Amino acid sequence: MGAIWVIAEPGPDGGLARISAEAATLVRELAAATGREAIGIVVAPDPAVAAADLATYLAAVWAITEPAATDHAWSAVAARHVVNLLGTEAPDAIFVGAGADGRDVAGAVSAQTGLGVLVNATAVAWTDAGPAVEMNVFGGKLITTSGFTAGRGIITIRPNVTTAVQADTVGRIEPRTADGPAALPLVRVLERVSEAGAKAPIEEAKIIVSGGRGVGGAEGFGLVEDLADALGGAVGASRAAVDSGWIPYAQQIGQTGKIVKPELYLALGISGAIQHKVGMRTSGAIVAINRDTDAPIAEFADLFVAGDLFEVGAALLTRLRARSG
Amino acid sequence: MVTESMPPTYRLTEEQTLLRDAVRVIADERVAPRAAEIDKSGEFPQDLRELLAAQDILALPFPVKFGGLGGELLTVCLAIEQLSRACATTGLILAVQELASLPLLIAGTDGQKARWIPKLASGEHLIAFAVTEAEAGSDVAAIRTRAVRDGDDYVITGSKRFISHGSVADLVTVFAVTNADPTAARSRRLSCFVVEVPTPGFEVTRIEHKMGLRGSPTAELAFDGVRVPVANRIGNEGDGFELAMKTFDRSRPGIAAQAVGIAQGALDVAAAYARDRRQFGKRIGDFQLVAGMLADMDATTESARQLLYKACVEIEAGTPDASRWSAMCKLVAGDAAMRVTTDAVQVLGGYGYIDEFPVERMMRDAKITQLYEGTQQIQRLVVARALLGKDD
Amino acid sequence: MRIVVLVKPVPDPASGSERLGPDGRLDRAVAPNVVNGNDEFALEAALKLVEAAGEGEITLLSMAPANAPETLRKALAMGATRAVHVTDAALAGSCAVSTAAVLARALRDLEFDFVLAGIDASDGVGGIVPAAIAAHLGLPYLSYAQRIEPDMTTRTIRVRRTSPTGYDLLEAPLPAVIGCTQALGEPRYPSLKGIMAARGKEIVTRSLADLGLDPATHGANAATTALLDSTMPPSRGATEIVRGTPDEGAARIVDFLVERRII
Repeated sequence: MGAIWVIAEPGPDGGLARISAEAATLVRELAAATGREAIGIVVAPDPAVAAADLATYLAAVWAITEPAATDHAWSAVAARHVVNLLGTEAPDAIFVGAGADGRDVAGAVSAQTGLGVLVNATAVAWTDAGPAVEMNVFGGKLITTSGFTAGRGIITIRPNVTTAVQADTVGRIEPRTADGPAALPLVRVLERVSEAGAKAPIEEAKIIVSGGRGVGGAEGFGLVEDLADALGGAVGASRAAVDSGWIPYAQQIGQTGKIVKPELYLALGISGAIQHKVGMRTSGAIVAINRDTDAPIAEFADLFVAGDLFEVGAALLTRLRARSG
Repeated sequence: MVTESMPPTYRLTEEQTLLRDAVRVIADERVAPRAAEIDKSGEFPQDLRELLAAQDILALPFPVKFGGLGGELLTVCLAIEQLSRACATTGLILAVQELASLPLLIAGTDGQKARWIPKLASGEHLIAFAVTEAEAGSDVAAIRTRAVRDGDDYVITGSKRFISHGSVADLVTVFAVTNADPTAARSRRLSCFVVEVPTPGFEVTRIEHKMGLRGSPTAELAFDGVRVPVANRIGNEGDGFELAMKTFDRSRPGIAAQAVGIAQGALDVAAAYARDRRQFGKRIGDFQLVAGMLADMDATTESARQLLYKACVEIEAGTPDASRWSAMCKLVAGDAAMRVTTDAVQVLGGYGYIDEFPVERMMRDAKITQLYEGTQQIQRLVVARALLGKDD
Repeated sequence: MRIVVLVKPVPDPASGSERLGPDGRLDRAVAPNVVNGNDEFALEAALKLVEAAGEGEITLLSMAPANAPETLRKALAMGATRAVHVTDAALAGSCAVSTAAVLARALRDLEFDFVLAGIDASDGVGGIVPAAIAAHLGLPYLSYAQRIEPDMTTRTIRVRRTSPTGYDLLEAPLPAVIGCTQALGEPRYPSLKGIMAARGKEIVTRSLADLGLDPATHGANAATTALLDSTMPPSRGATEIVRGTPDEGAARIVDFLVERRII
């Protein structure tokens, strides 16, 4: 039986990305359930911190030191090593996050090895025929379960599908090198720019407070941010708000933005048209505040409060602050 | 006699759908916001004329060879319909550009087309269609404006009335009597000319104040010894009457398109109102008497639309029954527009009567579609003749 | 400047008509199809680059069922120069891996300075095909582009790649593959002239045989994934609608959050 791998993605400051901690938890559980080995793989200029973190989730971690990752885009660097490892290893499944870096690695590794890819996993089980991967398709209209015809492959996993839970013991870290033909061209990073207002990846947030056309302007988003702060959540937006320039694209939820699955999605002044709905319809709880009771969101929200979003929002903010106050 | 239709069914092509949607976007974003003001001021919207030119909308009816976009009749009508939904006056700018160019397109020489079409296609020039006179509306053969041959010119004397865009056009397609011989066949007396204006002897003597379509200038034109070269005559001497009839086969659908657009615009306003307005604790659209009206309005508009599209396809395919199709689609669409706009005012109640909502304007605009381009009564005669044939 | 834009016809997401076909894959016969949203952003970026350079050609490349030309027409109307349509009955039911291999093969026959592709498609939302294509071709892959700046004199390309904190400025030599996002800018509506001109634009069809590829190793025969089961998601239940004063609404929200153990 082959092992199950998780390719750890870089988080802020060289640590572990949140999604990788979640994926590692899932991989550990699957490995335990099927009697397989679970291995985490870190590729970084200095893998020590991330590897140590990953080792709190997995019994075995391979730490690959790769100086090129300092000023080259990580995914091609990592993919090279993974492909080289696959020259001598034969895991039954390779997990990565379904975010930007994870997808890029999955695509590159798949092309060079012929391994199939199942994307956006929301649950994974194991059968005799290999992994059975569940995903939401068609904007959440359907849940499918799919497998690999060859019984093994690459799986990208959505944030917030598993809660990251550390193991009882700390795993072993093994420095590895992966030699082989360096077939994948690398891309230079000239500069990493931080922009004001850019926050942690919104897909990771457990609570999202989102503003739409009804918010009316950039100033209106002040209320959205205050509510997000009071709830300890992130700020999201509909496309209308982004197109109007009230909030950066990185926070856009929906078809051409992000797909999210927080525990709570609080929508202010969002109509809930299908392009937005597909981005958030699998949220744990959906609460909407909107003046228009005919808005599509009134049909799939759990709680719909009819009213002026600024008035209701201000009242809600007062109450939330009073609770924690 | 009615022949088998060909083709048996039609579908909007992807290209036509794209085109319709492109014009709709322009109509919604740029034309609709101007509609009320155009009606109130009664001023010809030069800015929208320039917009239509800049967007190549005015190029639709003209052959690619001469700078146009080579749109089929249905394509042109789709554009007229979308524009008219927002503003009937603006829809007419395209409709008249097509209508008045038809004699040239049907019977002009390549030299004539090369002379005039490029600037019509670019929208630099507007063209008007001058048949009607004070004493000759339905009775086209009874027009009295004369065109007398004098050397290499014709000299045109007379006056035309109710000429759309007559005061803003650069070219006027004029129909005049070239054969006044009382024994000459009625249908061989007229000839068609393109008059480039301004020119000595040509004068706009009056602009009408109308019930609707108030941004579209409807003019009385005086021709007092206006000289045009022989080269400006379209077709042969005596071809004028037949040319006018052939023109109507293609121009009537354009007016039908305007009417369908007006009806749809009114329906959209009425339906939105019925969704929002609440009385007695519920939406007025949920009262059966109102719902019934709206349903009839929708069915009426859709029927008119489908007949129009079918007529366009038949006429474009060269059906021998073109006159029947064009008269029928204009007849149905004009009546539809009047009915739907009147009902739209009714749905809005008191609000329908004031200019806070556009339906009163749409109702006033709709009426003309039952009057011009051949009255509804004339359309009925055409349809009946096609059905019954002549008395043997 | 020669640009290839990968274009995927997908069921119109706004129509809500997506469903599985009998083979367990997306039923692509369901009309209407539109150009995948992110691919439109890619095409718009290409059009802007060609306009800025004052010269250039844009070739659309699409692997799609036989009815794709209808959908490609809008992209041609926006201003692309021509289209290449890879289509073959054997390709029905292809998985992402096979799709990437076929597209990469088709690209080998085209001359280009760079390839633009939407980072994912609204039907599968996998986001792995452009990276796979680049790997097949041995080309650099610059993904999640919010800005693209090619330099034809130095034959390099710079891309701002969206990051959680802002962006990374990437650079690679040409030729390269770039994954495009909405942040590149709203796609233009085709002009009437563009719509009518699209009639005359060339759409070249290529089958697997034309590409020298074996049907036995592509398409459904070679799928790396297979559907095992599908179910409807559990219904969310009825919406609770609250009307009343703002404070009443706020109070109900707080109670709801407590009930759901969110706060």
